[in-house]
Amino acid sequence: MSRELPDGTIRTEHVWKRFRADQQRMLLRDRVEAAGRRLRGRRGEDWRWALRDVNLHIGPGESVGLIGSNGSGKSTLLKMLTRVMYPYAGGIDVRGRIGALIEIRAGIHPDLTGRENIYLFGALLGLRRREVAGRFDDIVEFARLGGAIDRQVKFYSSGMQMRLGFAVAAYLEPHVLLVDEVLAVGDAVFQQRCLDRMREVLDQGTTLVFVSHDLPAVESVCTRGVWLEQGTVRVDAGIREAMAGYRDSIEAQSEAGARAGEPLQLLKYEIRGADRENLLTDEPMTVDLHLGGDYRGDATLHLGVSEGTASPVFQISHEVRLTGEDRTVTCTIPRLPLPRGRYTLWTGVYGIGRTDGGTLMSWHSAGQFDVFGPVLDTPPRAVVLAAPVFVPHHWED
Amino acid sequence: MGGRNAQVVDVRAGEGAAVADGPLPGTVFRRRLRPATVARELWASRELVRALAERDLRARYKQAVLGFAWAVLTPLALCAIFTLVFHRAVRIDTGTAPYALFAYVGLIVWQFFSNTMNQGALSLANNLSLLNKVYCPREVFPLATMLVAAVDMLIGVGVLGVMFLAFWTAPAATAAWVLPLLAVQFAFTYGVALVLSVAVVYLRDVRHLLPIITQMGVFATPVAYPLAKIPHRLQELYVALNPLGAVIEGYRRALLYGDAPDARLTLVAAASSVVFLVGGYLIFKKLETGIADVA
Repeated sequence: MSRELPDGTIRTEHVWKRFRADQQRMLLRDRVEAAGRRLRGRRGEDWRWALRDVNLHIGPGESVGLIGSNGSGKSTLLKMLTRVMYPYAGGIDVRGRIGALIEIRAGIHPDLTGRENIYLFGALLGLRRREVAGRFDDIVEFARLGGAIDRQVKFYSSGMQMRLGFAVAAYLEPHVLLVDEVLAVGDAVFQQRCLDRMREVLDQGTTLVFVSHDLPAVESVCTRGVWLEQGTVRVDAGIREAMAGYRDSIEAQSEAGARAGEPLQLLKYEIRGADRENLLTDEPMTVDLHLGGDYRGDATLHLGVSEGTASPVFQISHEVRLTGEDRTVTCTIPRLPLPRGRYTLWTGVYGIGRTDGGTLMSWHSAGQFDVFGPVLDTPPRAVVLAAPVFVPHHWED
Repeated sequence: MGGRNAQVVDVRAGEGAAVADGPLPGTVFRRRLRPATVARELWASRELVRALAERDLRARYKQAVLGFAWAVLTPLALCAIFTLVFHRAVRIDTGTAPYALFAYVGLIVWQFFSNTMNQGALSLANNLSLLNKVYCPREVFPLATMLVAAVDMLIGVGVLGVMFLAFWTAPAATAAWVLPLLAVQFAFTYGVALVLSVAVVYLRDVRHLLPIITQMGVFATPVAYPLAKIPHRLQELYVALNPLGAVIEGYRRALLYGDAPDARLTLVAAASSVVFLVGGYLIFKKLETGIADVA
C-alpha cells in the first residue's frame, strides 16, 4: 500500500471477510467437544463469506453512500473501516482521524449524570478532556438536553439517552466520518439535525461514508453510491446510477409477488408523450389504463408516480363508474413536472361506499417509465438531490 | 407499452460476477503491531483509562450507602477472621510483628489481585456492545479495572497506616523496597487480567472459574501464613508460578521486619511476572482482533 496518502483517504484492497456459519456457542465445553471431533477427523468448520473481494478507493472529501439489502455486508465493511473488526484477507487503509457517528447508548452508564457521560464518551471516541469541554455547550445544545444535563442518565427518556450518545459523536472533527443507520433512531427534528450536521462536516472537507436504508436521505448527502450485494460491490458509480440499479433490483423482487384474485386487474397500461414516444419534462403526459374485471359500481382510481420504491412524487385520483366490462381510463397531465430520470407508475382502485374496506385493486407499482429533459440544476455543495420536481421558471437580473 | 422497463439504466453492473471463490493465497490479513505504535496509542488513551476508572468508581459508590468504606471494610473483616482462625486457633508464628499487621499486608496485595482479576476478567465482556462500535486499544478496559483496584488498595494502605499507629510501631527503614515489589505485583496482576478478559469473551463459562480461583488463591498464596511454610526447595518454583508469594513476603520483610526482600526469590518472581505480562499481552493482542466477530 502506498505510503503518502492524504488524510481522509480510504482504501480497501481485495478485502474478504468471513463469519462462522455453523451455530456456535461461546463455551469451553463446546470447544472441548469440537476439539475432540477434530481429533477424530470429523467435520471441519463452516464459514460464510460476508464480504468478497471489496475494492474501494475513496478520496478526501468524497461522500459515499453504501446501499444494499440486509445482510449485504454494509455494516461489516463499516466496522472494518472503524477498525472494530478486521478482514480475513486483503488490506484496509484509512488515513487520518476516524469518527463514527453511531448510537452508543450502550456505553451510557445509568448512574452517572449526563455531564459525566459526555466526558466518558468523549474519552471513548478519542477526544481530550479539554476538547470536550470546549464543545460542551454545542453538544448539550445538539442533544437538546438543557437543564437535564446534571441529572442521572437513568432518569432520561430513551430519546434523550440516544441523543446524548449521538451528540458527542457529532462533534468530533474527524477526517473520515462513518455513519451507520443513525436515522432509524430519533424523531424527525433530530434526524434533520443529523443530516444538517453531516452536510456541515462535508463542507469542511471531511470524507463521508453513510450507510442507511433511508434512500432519499442517502441521496441527499452523497455524491457517490456503492451498492453491495451479497458481499460484493455490484455498482460503484454516481449516487443516482447506483440508486437506480438498487431500486430496480428491489422492484424486480417485489413485483414477483403478484396480486391474484382481486376483483379488478390492470390488464395493460400505456404512457405517451404529446405526439412522440418520449416523455419530456414540462410537456404533456398521457396514461391509458386498461382495467379488467366484472365489478359493478362506483370506485376511486388512484394514480401515482414515485422515484424510489415507496416515496411518491405526486398522486392523483379520479372517480369512475364500473359497469362490469373491461374499461380504459385515460389521464392527461398537461405539463409534466418531472426532471430527467426513471420513475415508477403506481395505481390502485378502491370501491366507494363499501363496508369491507373496498380494495378492488390494491396499490401497486405497475411499471417504470423514463423522462427525458433537463437534469436538475447543479445543487449547492453537499446537497445532491434537494427536490425531485421540475419547476418552470425564469430569471431576471 | 408496459415493456418500457426493458430500457436498462446504464450501471456498472456485472463487476461482481467475476469474483473468485476465495481470496488469493498470501493475501490473508495480518495485523502488524510495532511496539512503538502500541505504546503511543496506549499513552494517547490515558485519559480514557482514567475516565473508565472514574466511571466505575463513581457508579459503584453512587449506589452504595457506605461508599468508599467498603474498600476498607472487606479487608478488615477478612483480617479479623484470619486473626481469629490462624492466630488464635492455628497459632501461626509471625515473630516480632503483630499478626493483624502481618495478615493485613498480605490481604492488601491479595485484595488488589482478586479485585483486578474478577472485575478485569469481565471488563471486555461487560462492554461488548461498546467494543462492537468504537475503536480504542482494548487493553484499556482491564487496565482501568486495575486502576480502580489500585484506588481501593490506596485506601487499604491508609488503613494500614492507622493500624501501625494502633500497634504503636512504625514501618521499618527498609520500606523503600516496596516500590520495585509494587512493579512486580502490577505486572503479574495485569498479565493475568489481560488473559482472563479475552478468555471470557471467547469462552463465556470461564467466568465460573473466577470464584474458584479466588477461593483457592487466598489460601494458596501466603496471605495468612508466611512463605516459610512452603518447603524451602520448592520456594523458587512456587514464586515462579505465583509471584504474589514473593511480593507479599518481600513487603513483610521490608515493612515489618526491617529486612531487604530475598534477592533470589524476588528476581525469580520479577522474571516470572514479566513473562506473565508480555505473554498475556501477546495473547490479548492476538485474540483481540476477533472480538467483534464473536460478540
